[in-house]
Amino acid sequence: MTATAEHAAEDGMGPAPRAPWAVIGRAMLQALLVAMAVLVLYPLAWMALNGFRSNTEIFNDPFALPQHWSFAAYAAAWQNGVSQFVASSLLVTGVSIVTTVFISAWAAYGLTRTRIPGQPLVTGFILGGMMLSPTVALVPLVRMMQDFGLYNTHWALILLYTAFRVPFTTFLIRAYMLDLPRDLDEAARMDGASEGQIFRRIILPLCRPILVSCVILHILFAWNEYLFAMIFTNSPSTQTLPVGLTSLMSKHGTDFAQVFAAMTISALPIVIVFFLTQRYFVRGLTEGIGK
Amino acid sequence: MTRKTTIAALLAAGTALAPAMVPAQAADPAAEVDYSGTLTILTKFGMQRLQPYFTDLAAQYEEMHPDVSIELIQEDDDSIKGKTSTLVASNSIPDIFFSWTGTWGGNFVRGNRAADLTAVIGPDTDWGRTFAPAAVDAFVYNGRNYGIPLYLDAKFMGYSKPIFDAAGVGVPATFGELLSACDAIKAAGYLPVSFGNKEPWAGLHYLGQLLAYNVPRDVLEADFDPATATYDDPGYAAALEQFAAFEDRCTIGPDVNGVSYQTAIQQLSDGKSAMYYQEIIEFDSAARPDTALTADQFGFFALPAPADAAGDPMALEGAPEGYMISSASDNIPLAIDFMKFATSPGHARTLSAPPYGQPSAVVGGGDPETMNPSVVAGLDDIAEASYLVPWLDTVNHPRVAAAWLSEFQGFAGGTSSAEDVMEAVRKAAASVAN
Amino acid sequence: MARSSSLQFDGAAPAGSAVPELRLPRLAEQLLSWRWVALAVLIVGWFVYYPIIDNFRVSTTTQDIFTGEVQHVGLENYARLAGDPVVLTALFNNLAYAVLSIVFQVFGAFVLASIIEDIASHRMRNLWRAIYFIPSAISTTVTGLLFYFIYQPDIGILDGLLTAAGLGGWSRAWLGDQSTAIYAVIAMSQWQGFGYSTLLFTIAIQKIPRDLYDAARMDGAGPLRQLWSVTLPMTREMTGMMIIVTITGAFQVFNEVMVMTSGGPNNSSQVLGTWLYQMGFSQNEMGYAAAIGSLIFAVTMACGLAQLWHTRRRRVAA
Repeated sequence: MTATAEHAAEDGMGPAPRAPWAVIGRAMLQALLVAMAVLVLYPLAWMALNGFRSNTEIFNDPFALPQHWSFAAYAAAWQNGVSQFVASSLLVTGVSIVTTVFISAWAAYGLTRTRIPGQPLVTGFILGGMMLSPTVALVPLVRMMQDFGLYNTHWALILLYTAFRVPFTTFLIRAYMLDLPRDLDEAARMDGASEGQIFRRIILPLCRPILVSCVILHILFAWNEYLFAMIFTNSPSTQTLPVGLTSLMSKHGTDFAQVFAAMTISALPIVIVFFLTQRYFVRGLTEGIGK
Repeated sequence: MTRKTTIAALLAAGTALAPAMVPAQAADPAAEVDYSGTLTILTKFGMQRLQPYFTDLAAQYEEMHPDVSIELIQEDDDSIKGKTSTLVASNSIPDIFFSWTGTWGGNFVRGNRAADLTAVIGPDTDWGRTFAPAAVDAFVYNGRNYGIPLYLDAKFMGYSKPIFDAAGVGVPATFGELLSACDAIKAAGYLPVSFGNKEPWAGLHYLGQLLAYNVPRDVLEADFDPATATYDDPGYAAALEQFAAFEDRCTIGPDVNGVSYQTAIQQLSDGKSAMYYQEIIEFDSAARPDTALTADQFGFFALPAPADAAGDPMALEGAPEGYMISSASDNIPLAIDFMKFATSPGHARTLSAPPYGQPSAVVGGGDPETMNPSVVAGLDDIAEASYLVPWLDTVNHPRVAAAWLSEFQGFAGGTSSAEDVMEAVRKAAASVAN
Repeated sequence: MARSSSLQFDGAAPAGSAVPELRLPRLAEQLLSWRWVALAVLIVGWFVYYPIIDNFRVSTTTQDIFTGEVQHVGLENYARLAGDPVVLTALFNNLAYAVLSIVFQVFGAFVLASIIEDIASHRMRNLWRAIYFIPSAISTTVTGLLFYFIYQPDIGILDGLLTAAGLGGWSRAWLGDQSTAIYAVIAMSQWQGFGYSTLLFTIAIQKIPRDLYDAARMDGAGPLRQLWSVTLPMTREMTGMMIIVTITGAFQVFNEVMVMTSGGPNNSSQVLGTWLYQMGFSQNEMGYAAAIGSLIFAVTMACGLAQLWHTRRRRVAA
């Protein structure tokens, strides 16, 4: 790769290649992009296809296509707990999106639009939470959750996901709000709008791009979080997908088709969400970077 | 606001610090059972094949007592330890929970976490008399009963009769014969023994049995207790050496560390390997109606003892496994009632028969007619064993067990020497004793 | 809806802005403004800061989870930490994680992003980026399990591919071999993570003013030269941030190791996070686990401060 790029460079080629070396160089780079895409997609396709294959097929020829297209393994995985795990994941992700984004948006508003006594300290306190690792908090949190009676409930995860994501989410929203022009809300204030009205009717709508990005980032986090889910939930009715999958794996470990089907089921929604929201996600990130 | 947080947090810390030192609750046989509320049960029947046992029991019990609801947490061999520890650490021990005998169960007794069941299951009680006495005794600590044995377990070498025939080998009588049988099976084109050591307790089961053969019982038992442990018996090195020879001649070698025990059992079921070292409770999963290896093609034998072993050649590795009742349970009488229900003769027979194949600890809890003949025969071997040596990973202190598990995995992978293993174990025992 | 409501105020607003009129006494207004941040401060303080502070207290004790007995042992757990060979292994593994992730997820992604931006059409650009990003969107449990199977000697496709390529001699039990286990896990992580950083780099590269490239081209700079003298310096902030974030992430690794090897064989793929878990939740040594937590805290805190310093410097420079 480097070699071809160098040749292209020696020939002093711009974006429109003419010399044969540059053409070959470009072709090889294109081939590299394709190869990388195959490297990404092939294992995922293998995973999804294995959900259609029998154990014997999986063992005897790992590369072959399924002989029958039966959804039996997918259905079995769904019934053996995956449906419950999906429900838990949806609930925990959904509620923690609302709590995280609202608490963060309020905080960001407070930090950028009001005069809080000790504002730099409060900012440092909230954003400083970004530097703290969940692993470090693990041991004391176990006792805390137990004392609150939250152990093995969805609330434990909702609370922790909110607490550990508020700093980062506030950071993103705050950066965005800092760059919003102030004349709009000051004008509204002159008109007698209350702080609450300004927040709801002016700032929040203006922040929509970053809020969408925050929601997507939070989905990526909460749908996939493992450490807290593993420690703080223990029954099939409270476990979220990432933890449920490992228990499914150990319980049905020799029914490979079912395990692969369960993995595919849990990966699919998030991939779809990403593809549907990609544009907003990238836009939010674009606007977020470099602020 | 911050100060308020701190104060609240400190208050929370105060309660966290207060140890749960409730005196152990003793079960009262005369207690009236209140058939209402929720019972949580932590089982070790998480494997797909075993799950329905407790699910069915719970459904039946809930039907009999509509005000009772039962919540099952079903774990498997590999995940149960971590799950139990997490539940203990968070003071969320279920009303009824699985326990091994030995140090593992002793932890719950030491911490007053298990209800004293002497009055209901002890000697000369109606319920106690329904069990094999040795099984009940295995859960006695400080002269009190703390556990309800559910089934008996022991480790045997399961084998495929067709492959043995194809290779022209018979059941080996000595460890040396086992090794030569492996050579013959390999020559016939089969994997002699499928062995998955990704979960290191699987390999430690071999070693436990070999230690019982090579180290005299009293020495072994003294070494189980960190306070008296020396680990200087030459039998340890001998056992490790035997294992190394076995791994070399009978298995795929150091790559065993990349194979899970589930894959290994699957290889026997699929007719790819000739042998798999397994617990009697796995007999019915190794050979099922839907596997290549059928039940009548399945045979078993105790891992043969080396000819000149210094230990007990009639020892067998195994122990009963059972359940304890949390001393913190709101409704101990109900939990006991459920366990009585679970160990009633009818349910015991269901447990002993396929597809579960867990030989019940209840006297007469197995009907040879319905049970897998191998399981019936295995039970006879258990009865004849001169000494049931418990699992190394549950009989030892957790730190010593951890040293065994990881260093022995290194030994199987060819990166730790026998001396490394013993050094690590000795060090761990010394650190606990201090 | 959003637009109309803001327009409503917009229309009424006079040109230019004046100092808003205070309707409440200053102090009361200031105190009242706390309501905006109160929830954030409360929840972060309670569930993030307090447990981390409490962790240090726990780390000076030994706790028997069964009896609930707590003994105060001062710095004994830290002394044990210093003499624990597995902690050394874990530190090394975390470090290997960090170094290899920087190579692949920062520099590799940078090169890949440059290639995409250089040769792909607009439409293809989005497609490549989206494809490469897919693994980052999927749970690490799923990707970890997937690669656990890929690395399996019997059903995995890696050994099959090696054999097909005539490299059958290389095949092995990747996760069962002490010398390869951690690298097999790290490789999975690179597969999963490179798309995310590639996406970020393409965004950063798109923000570089085009005329810089035009100027470079006028000076006779080829593609490689442009990469070196325009793209690299113009994305240096991004690269710097990414290196720090990557290092922090590398010291918090947990999920993939847990799913693929649980730290085995013989603790060879243990990282600090999994060792903490094993100590605290399998071996019931909460005090010692808390001490391992303090070590993770020290490393991630150092990274966090580096990040802070980096952003500060950037602000000053800008």
